[in-house]
Amino acid sequence: MIKKRCLLIAIVIIAILLFSGCSHDMDKSKKSVINQLNLQGNMELKYARNFNVDYYRGGYSLISISDGSKYLVVPEDQDIPTDIDEDITVLKQPINNIYLVATSAMCLFDALDSLDAISLSGTKAEDWYIENARTAMESSNIIYAGKYNIPDYELIMSNNCNLAIESTMINHTPEVKDKLKELGIPVLIDQSSYESHPLGRTEWIKLYGLLTGKESEAKQLFDEQSNYIDKLKGQEKTDKTVAFFYISSSGNAIARKSGDYVTRMIELAGGNYIFDHLGNPESATSTVTLEMEEFYATAKNADFIIYNSTIDGELSSIEELVGKNSLLKDFKAVQNNNVWCTSKNMFQETTQFGLMISDIGRMLTDDDRNLTELNFMYKLPSVDEEKPNERK
Amino acid sequence: MNTKYFFNTKKLTVGYNGKPLIKDIEINLKKGQILTLIGPNGSGKSTILKSITKHLKSICGTIYIDNKSIENMSNKDMAQKVAVVLTDRLKTELMTCKDVVATGRYPYTGMLGILSKEDNIQVRNAMELVNTWELRNRDFTEISDGQRQRILLARAICQNPEIIVLDEPTSFLDIHYELELLNILRTLAEERGITVIMSLHELDMAQKVSDLVMCVKGEYITHIGTPKEIFQKELISKLYDLSNGSYNPLFGSFEMERPKGVPKVFVIAEDGTGIAEYRTLQKKRIPFVTGILHKNDIDYQLAQDLASEVFFEKSFEPISEETFQSTLKRMQSCPIVINCLETYGELNIKNKALYEMALRQGKKNLESATML
Amino acid sequence: MKENNDKNYIRYIITLTVLIILFAVLILLNIKLGSVDVSVKDIIDILFHRRGNETNYNILWKVRLPRIMASIILGGALALSGFLLQTFFNNPIAGPYVLGISSGSKMMVALVMITILSRYHSVSSASLIAAAFAGAILSMGFVLIISRRVQSVSMLIVCGVMIGYICSAITDIMITFADDANIVNLHNWSLGSFSGTSWRDVGVMASVVLPTSLIVFLMSKPIGAYQLGEGYAKNMGVNIKLFRIMLVLLSSFLCACVTAFAGPISFVGIAVPHLVKSFLRTSKPLIATPLCFLGGSVFCLGCDLIARTLFAPVELSVSTVSSIFGVPIVIYIMLRKRVQ
Repeated sequence: MIKKRCLLIAIVIIAILLFSGCSHDMDKSKKSVINQLNLQGNMELKYARNFNVDYYRGGYSLISISDGSKYLVVPEDQDIPTDIDEDITVLKQPINNIYLVATSAMCLFDALDSLDAISLSGTKAEDWYIENARTAMESSNIIYAGKYNIPDYELIMSNNCNLAIESTMINHTPEVKDKLKELGIPVLIDQSSYESHPLGRTEWIKLYGLLTGKESEAKQLFDEQSNYIDKLKGQEKTDKTVAFFYISSSGNAIARKSGDYVTRMIELAGGNYIFDHLGNPESATSTVTLEMEEFYATAKNADFIIYNSTIDGELSSIEELVGKNSLLKDFKAVQNNNVWCTSKNMFQETTQFGLMISDIGRMLTDDDRNLTELNFMYKLPSVDEEKPNERK
Repeated sequence: MNTKYFFNTKKLTVGYNGKPLIKDIEINLKKGQILTLIGPNGSGKSTILKSITKHLKSICGTIYIDNKSIENMSNKDMAQKVAVVLTDRLKTELMTCKDVVATGRYPYTGMLGILSKEDNIQVRNAMELVNTWELRNRDFTEISDGQRQRILLARAICQNPEIIVLDEPTSFLDIHYELELLNILRTLAEERGITVIMSLHELDMAQKVSDLVMCVKGEYITHIGTPKEIFQKELISKLYDLSNGSYNPLFGSFEMERPKGVPKVFVIAEDGTGIAEYRTLQKKRIPFVTGILHKNDIDYQLAQDLASEVFFEKSFEPISEETFQSTLKRMQSCPIVINCLETYGELNIKNKALYEMALRQGKKNLESATML
Repeated sequence: MKENNDKNYIRYIITLTVLIILFAVLILLNIKLGSVDVSVKDIIDILFHRRGNETNYNILWKVRLPRIMASIILGGALALSGFLLQTFFNNPIAGPYVLGISSGSKMMVALVMITILSRYHSVSSASLIAAAFAGAILSMGFVLIISRRVQSVSMLIVCGVMIGYICSAITDIMITFADDANIVNLHNWSLGSFSGTSWRDVGVMASVVLPTSLIVFLMSKPIGAYQLGEGYAKNMGVNIKLFRIMLVLLSSFLCACVTAFAGPISFVGIAVPHLVKSFLRTSKPLIATPLCFLGGSVFCLGCDLIARTLFAPVELSVSTVSSIFGVPIVIYIMLRKRVQ
């Protein structure tokens, strides 16, 4: 009886040992892994830290992603080198049948006007906020291939998909990743959400530009945004503080963790995020839940409030905001009429981050009372104009 | 080494969870004998039976079957030696009666339990012995209680055991099936030499069917012996704590409580005529005196249990004058008389005189006790 | 007697034949149907001559066939597990998950997701499978420990349910404190699916389920004895203590395997044994065990076919389909029984 029990435990332990192998590869960055090719240089990256591109003579490029995966992009007219390391995936151009799951990448493809390279999507037509994406799906240029965790493999295969661009969610369903690889479809996991600098996210457009053969367009679009930041670099940092949050249905305040790309945008614009060390830098999530009282204690003295309406819907007045929780009435920003609200797609249009940062900058520095509309935010009006302006 | 006993126990102590219930049980049974356990509810009869079948671990002592201790017997050996019929109601699913009986052959079938031709013959024989062969294809849950008990007995029989243990096998049966079952047991014991150990509530049946009877009460076995030795008035009364009734060993029956109080009724009876009156008076809780009966008369047995006072004469003797006079004297204090006799014979002619005396004394004469 | 035996045999043969026919038909349908249309000629070429259009080849060999194998093996395992537990507990609503196994699996999967994902940002599918398996065995282990101290068998169901509740509660606590991102897929895991099965998975499944099922078949005799209750089974020579343990072990192994690879799939374990037994009109383990396995395979093949083709490319969860189709069937059977 006891023997049987021990045997059972032994079996289970052995099974776990045999099967476990967390697939996090240690990133051993070797300089030249490919022997036949000659290294020529690498892609200039200003803010992005999660990918790297090495250029080789002949038009070959080696992409290294921070999760350890490597991809060799082979131009259309070139041969695939024979002696390649096992851990490098070959992507032969043209890459024109992409299965796109990472929604943040869609807007980059759209900006590059490369939607035709995408043939399958993990999101349904009606769920896209990007117009072009929605129309492409409605006219069946892009087909819905099922939810990311139970995709329709047959559909993907029959469309001769040559690359799957997944979001980090795929790490939660490793069997899908395994299956796609088994079927011969290369998987690239978009790590832009791990970029701490907001423009680092935008810079991923260069990666997708490389894949679709539109490198120069990508560089141009990036530089445009980068210029906004450069302009702001000259300015002095203000001492204004900003609180960025929304109120959840359970009555809590959901704020961004310190160091997250939204808070970085505020910093880059010259402001200060009201929370200093909020959240756990190690964890993968970007939001932190706070109870209203706790939130009130720290944030009530913020000079500005930017309300995140992308989750709950746009607000129309300060009164509507206060209606969510009466404690908000005492907030300095509310009393001084400095409450702004994000327009629907702020923080999602990756290609406009520079402009967004300059928006925030204007909010912080422009004293014009009549300034109520910016590109991505609008000032929340007070229905009651007789509201007294108390200064603390 | 007891070579002449087939089944015996030595200093057997049984109980649950290490707590002894009954200690130092010594049973000695020859092959083909029937042992019945009697005793009040909860006295431990089932405990003893469960210990014998190894359903319960005995606390100490040894049980021997054919001089081998059952401690050392494997499950398979036990299965081939001892078969049981339990009281629990079986909840089977989609099993025919034949299926149920066929499970008795398991100790003899191969690994997958498939029945051989020989096994099927055994099953048929067992079912025919208990008159259930015609039920073989009926679903086990759809037959009556009596039939079910017989099927379970057939199952035990085709297990070809040397001992059959039954726990209150007649509890759910009416008298027809009870007699039938016990008859079959007797046949098994006589013709096949199967030793039977069972517990029964029905004392009259126990008296009739057993070779040995064991009384289970308290911490020790109070008595074990032949029915003749056990079924005595005091023994049974004590065993079952009969304060509210009495036991008649001759009939093997129980009577209800004797009416209390000063008797006002005198019943003249004999030859079985008094029985109905005695019972009616008992039901109405009316104390009475009766006489003059002969000791070998059947009314005498009942009168002993129910009447406040009985006047009797020695068996085979005509009623003496002495007896007559004392009866008469006693009758005087009873205002009511009931005469059950219609005819008189040589030996009890004095009862007629007794009756006429009662009438002359102006006693209230009732036809029957029901009028009271 | 002979003609009744014959009647029984005829019944068994008919049931077996019907099941085999359904089995073959469903396999063929599963091979043929899917999001992509593959012609019959192509199918024959791909399957038997190992040649053909590469995409179709891969679709058949790498997507459809492994799924079919998984449905067969895991469906059979579930049905068998349910049969064992229904016999053991003498309770018609007992099913493979009555001992709290799915809650145990879910708890371990949640634990692995939370600890490994938050640290390493990714986890291998093998470790999730191992976690689910370990969780199932863990809850089974608890039930076994308690069963040693408990006399009546129905108390085991209570234990199983209680352990299920505790595991669910612990899982809920973990969910509360975990980052949403890490456990977002826990709900999806709980829905149950055969999607993404690979041949390697099939190999592992087969090596667990097939030997276990064989052992169950070889235990037909003690199981049959057990159908009369523990009192009689003991008298017929069955070692009750060992038998109880074996039964819990075997049924849990089968169920753990299913949960590990496909997530919890409800209802198959309860419905299929009922259906099979009512067609066979017997519960003799020698006949019922192989036919329950076959019945379970057939049922799952059918449910998976519907789950993946009905709303393609959206895939329903197999659990959902099995419940929706299973419940009316069982109710119909029950009503027919009552009328008789």
